[in-house]
Amino acid sequence: MNNQKVILVTGVSKGLGLAICKNLLLSDWKVYGVSRSITAEIEKLKSSYKTSFVYIQYDLLEINDLKQDLFVKYFKNVSFDGFVNNAALAYDDIVTNLDLSALSKMYTVNVFAPFLLTKLVLRNFILNKKSGAVVHISSVSVHTGYKGLSMYASTKGALEAFSKNVAREWGPKNIRSNCIVAGFMETNMSSSLSLSQKTRIYNRTALKLPTSKDSVANSVKFLLSDSSSSITGQNIFVDSGTI
Amino acid sequence: MKKIENIINRIRINKGDNEISEFQKNMSLRDDIGFDSLDLAELTVLIEDEYNIDIFESGIVSTLEEIHERLLIDGGNN
Ligand SMILES: NC(=O)c1ccc[n+]([C@@H]2O[C@H](COP(=O)([O-])OP(=O)(O)OC[C@H]3O[C@@H](n4cnc5c(N)ncnc54)[C@H](OP(=O)(O)O)[C@@H]3O)[C@@H](O)[C@H]2O)c1
Repeated sequence: MNNQKVILVTGVSKGLGLAICKNLLLSDWKVYGVSRSITAEIEKLKSSYKTSFVYIQYDLLEINDLKQDLFVKYFKNVSFDGFVNNAALAYDDIVTNLDLSALSKMYTVNVFAPFLLTKLVLRNFILNKKSGAVVHISSVSVHTGYKGLSMYASTKGALEAFSKNVAREWGPKNIRSNCIVAGFMETNMSSSLSLSQKTRIYNRTALKLPTSKDSVANSVKFLLSDSSSSITGQNIFVDSGTI
Repeated sequence: MKKIENIINRIRINKGDNEISEFQKNMSLRDDIGFDSLDLAELTVLIEDEYNIDIFESGIVSTLEEIHERLLIDGGNN
């Protein structure tokens, strides 16, 4: 297991994060997974992968304790090869209804916590002389407007800009940063959409289909792996071909 | 403070520079020791690993002496 990698993934309790987690564990990689809730799926993974899956229950809104409660407490002797910034929440509304406290909560989870985690992970790479990889999960909503998603999309746009610049800044140390621009997937996050809304969204893609979580998860793994060693600062669209 | 000097030399050697044999406390990390911002980041991380203190947390540190001060002020004792 020479090329077994050690990856930090946020938002592993369900949806895409869970799919990513399973995908990496199936390849014999080691995963440190973070989320607020311990779902039945998490319990299953914990018992199937006793050594390669380490689960930590944590609310990313507790942004001031990230260093102490995750990196000092749990990751002191861990040497990461990669970080997947997947956890996010979608506060969707038309902009005239903007509620500042909901907006700042979303920015804390979707933007500030990932920036801080990137800082801490990069420092972990540097300490251990690793040429690590960071992958952010972005969204097509950054590139194609959708009613009600302006505020959510802006958090993902922030990640894309951040990723490109981190890639430039840390490229000399062989540290890479990329985004997966995901299309609409069937998860909890999109569950409030009606069937007709979903159909309309899927019809705006070349494949006329929802984006497959497994396809996104495989792409994440590719960007973490050595197979993508020359890819950095990119946005890779995995979105059924948005048109 | 031999430890700090060793860390500095390790970083220099890694990037293909010579070891510094005589350190002076007023040496500038950038101008005399030749560190750029990425080297300084590496220095911070290695010092934090050793002393549990992030020397850049409370502002820029630019000389060797300031590192020493930061570590003492923040409770480090070599
Ligand atoms: N679904 C889509 O159509 C779509 C499209 C494009 C991009 N994306 C992106 O894909 C990623 C995954 O989304 P998803 O669709 O899988 O959504 P999801 O089913 O709602 O899952 C979100 C994950 O993030 C975690 N999370 C949320 N807030 C958290 C917090 N404060 N602290 C820790 N963990 C937190 C959740 O865990 P807990 O609730 O247990 O904390 C959950 O595991 C997100 O970045 C999302 O923006 C989704």
